[in-house]
Amino acid sequence: MSTDTIIQTEGLTKVFKVGFWSRRVTVLEGLNLEVRRGEVFGFLGPNGAGKTTTIKILMDLIYPTSGHATLFGRPIGDNQAKARLGFLPETPYFYDYLTAAEFLQFYGHLFSLRGALLEQRVTELLELVGMSHARNLQLRKFSKGMLQRVGIAQALINDPELVVLDEPMSGLDPVGRKEIRDLILRLKESGKTIFFSSHILHDAELLCDRVAIILKGRMVACGRVSDLVGQSATQSVEMVVEGLSAEGLEHLRPLAEKFVTQGSQVLAVLKNQQQVVSALEIVRSAKGELVSLTPHKSSLEELFIREVKGLEPGLREGQ
Amino acid sequence: MRVLSIAFNTFRENLREKLLYNLLIFALLMIGSSVLLTRLTVGEWDRLIIDLGLSSMNLFGILIAIFVGISLVSKEIDKKTIFTIISKPVPRYEFLLGKYLGLVVTLLINTAVMAAGLFVVMAYLKAPFTPMLLKALGFIFLEFLVITAVALVFSTFTSTTLSAIFTLAVYVVGHLSTDLKLFGDKMGDAGKAILNAIYYVLPNLERFNLKGHVIHHIDVPATDLVLTTAYGLTYAAFLLLLASIIFQRRDFQ
Amino acid sequence: MMSSGHSAKVFADPSPSHNKQPWFCRRMWIKLTFLSLSIATLLTAILGFQFELDQRHDQKSGRLESLRFLPQGEVLRLALLGHHHLGADVIWLRIVQVLGEDVVAERDYEWLNHALDVVTTLDPQYVFAYDVGGTILAELAHRVDWSNRLLHKGYDANPAAWRLPFILGFNHFFHLQDYVQAGEYMSQAARIPGRPYYIDTLAARLYVEGGSPTLALSYLDSMLQQTTDPQLRSVYLEKYKEVMVARDLQNFDQAVERYRQARGKLPRALSDLVNEGYLNTIPEEPFGGEYRLHTETGEVSSSTHPERLHLYRPHEAKSFKKSI
Repeated sequence: MSTDTIIQTEGLTKVFKVGFWSRRVTVLEGLNLEVRRGEVFGFLGPNGAGKTTTIKILMDLIYPTSGHATLFGRPIGDNQAKARLGFLPETPYFYDYLTAAEFLQFYGHLFSLRGALLEQRVTELLELVGMSHARNLQLRKFSKGMLQRVGIAQALINDPELVVLDEPMSGLDPVGRKEIRDLILRLKESGKTIFFSSHILHDAELLCDRVAIILKGRMVACGRVSDLVGQSATQSVEMVVEGLSAEGLEHLRPLAEKFVTQGSQVLAVLKNQQQVVSALEIVRSAKGELVSLTPHKSSLEELFIREVKGLEPGLREGQ
Repeated sequence: MRVLSIAFNTFRENLREKLLYNLLIFALLMIGSSVLLTRLTVGEWDRLIIDLGLSSMNLFGILIAIFVGISLVSKEIDKKTIFTIISKPVPRYEFLLGKYLGLVVTLLINTAVMAAGLFVVMAYLKAPFTPMLLKALGFIFLEFLVITAVALVFSTFTSTTLSAIFTLAVYVVGHLSTDLKLFGDKMGDAGKAILNAIYYVLPNLERFNLKGHVIHHIDVPATDLVLTTAYGLTYAAFLLLLASIIFQRRDFQ
Repeated sequence: MMSSGHSAKVFADPSPSHNKQPWFCRRMWIKLTFLSLSIATLLTAILGFQFELDQRHDQKSGRLESLRFLPQGEVLRLALLGHHHLGADVIWLRIVQVLGEDVVAERDYEWLNHALDVVTTLDPQYVFAYDVGGTILAELAHRVDWSNRLLHKGYDANPAAWRLPFILGFNHFFHLQDYVQAGEYMSQAARIPGRPYYIDTLAARLYVEGGSPTLALSYLDSMLQQTTDPQLRSVYLEKYKEVMVARDLQNFDQAVERYRQARGKLPRALSDLVNEGYLNTIPEEPFGGEYRLHTETGEVSSSTHPERLHLYRPHEAKSFKKSI
């Protein structure tokens, strides 16, 4: 393990006992993860896949049934490791009787921050998350988006090296999500390691250096987004044409994988580059007008759906 | 310092949740009864105002100790606020101790204000003030310390409702344990053993009850005072340790 | 981190959501009116029902019944979880209320006996309850047996309360005419610190004079000195007058006897006794009546209380003296 390894887990397994008869439910099975310094790491999976369980183990909130995990090379629960960590829980509720400033001061006290230094940090953080105007407003009057912001400010109070965010984008509107994305990039710029979970793959695709995908407690893929997507990329091109003659239509139809006509417009999905060249030729000769031509990359989402389908039959596949 | 920060935050929560409004009811009770008492002729009404004052202080405090005590930890878990605390460099026992201290400070202030109210009414009614009254107040507070700790223990591993029921049960049995022991002495060996076990394990809360001593001006030997105080504090410490052990081992779902 | 030149805002400034409507709009008014009308109607109904129910049940006797059916003191004490002193206060308060309301039927004091037992079981040190309770049981309920039992219970639990043996002595003296026992209780009371000075005198005189009316008057005098309750005071005052009648009659009897022995005949009128120097004066009958002489038997009687008080009987006094 190098000093640049921030999070490491080995064979992390969690079995919950459910109900009166203590039925055993495995929510996490043999998870091996490694997050390196300076990365933005996306921890992806559908609801109930075990993302939050993993984060709770890392945050010392629950204990693994077996396996081992370290933060900064120290065992979980170590106070020195915790001092270098910031955490935003999923759908956070906070002490709603506190004002935003009191809230941040309280967390500062837990890191033994005091006096003018703490005051300065609180002001800075409120400025950073755009909550300066709500400094003396009780949290109970905050909207969900505002709570998420002070939640992030809370996670940054100790200027942590590692920031762990559990579903930071869920429940936010598109503007809010954009803002969180910008913040994560900004934190990355200032040299922090960011580990976040999400079930919204689009966000992860835009942000992450590396991602891990877990399903039903098991990791099914891990690596750079471009690698993961590239591995299984089968590109296609979407072409929209207008005013194509009937003859032109007849020529175009066999080329396309999907072919939809709507009024005077035609949408054709073309399989490969060669077909695109032929299709453009047909359009030109049939005096059609090209409306749009969109290359369609295989997304993380498609990969994800494939993985889910692949796992459904119960195949035990290697990662 | 972290313990104190958490304690202060808990105290602030109690204040902002308007917990101390119970003082208004106490004030009304005191004023109402003193007005009533000045109109009555037959009776020793000094003792009624003291009984009423001490009993209602005791009851208000116990209700707060139980119902705020059981939610001290479970509320933080339900609202997931505990996630942000435990993930910071705060050992779990410090969190628990902080919550406990916060409620104890709330109870202390609550009791102090009520005591001041009682003194005012007593002065108005020209009821004699005895040092025994202070000792009784101290012991009432000692009972709060124990009951709050009981509530804390239960709330570390069961639901709020069950904690409330269990803590109330301990409160009731704790006041009856001497009677249970006497009852057990009349039973067979098995019954006697069980009731004896209950007597020694559960807190004997009647020991903290000096209300009768105040109104009848019966003194308590200094040794008894010291021993009972030591008993109460040790019991609370034992419960806090127990709560810490349970709390240390549990998962926060 | 942020301080190193990254203080630019990442977020836009949103304001907390304000979607308040003007509160004075018309629908709101209708709603408000409707609500306040409903509240007023329901409140009136509640008060009406309460009043109606109060009318149907005699509250005073209800209070009395609640005292009659109080659970046993031992059980109640357990249920009160350490607040039994306040419990004793509350029951005592009720007793005083019921007694003050004057609804108690003659000869029905069973409830009082029970309620007093509960009060004193809840708080065995409640000396005041034994004291007043014992007096009321004897003087108002005319149940000296209950009174003595309660006083004994109190005296056992509170050996330092001189009032309890004092009243026990009073009961034995007045109601049981057991002067030996009365003297015993009085001398016990006379040994307890904090008693008034006259207790000692009373105790001494009890041994010497037995059931003499002058002693009874002193006894009642001391009772009156210690009692503030008007109801009890009037009972004692009544008794005081009765004893005065008894004392006067005793004086008349002695004068008549001396007259008969000296003159060999009975006086014709009471004035003869004064004129001939056997009496200083004819005392006023304390109830406002007069004393009459029965010329055939030589017996004197009161016009208001023709029955002689069952207090002073010379032969008992003699036997009392013998027994010492």
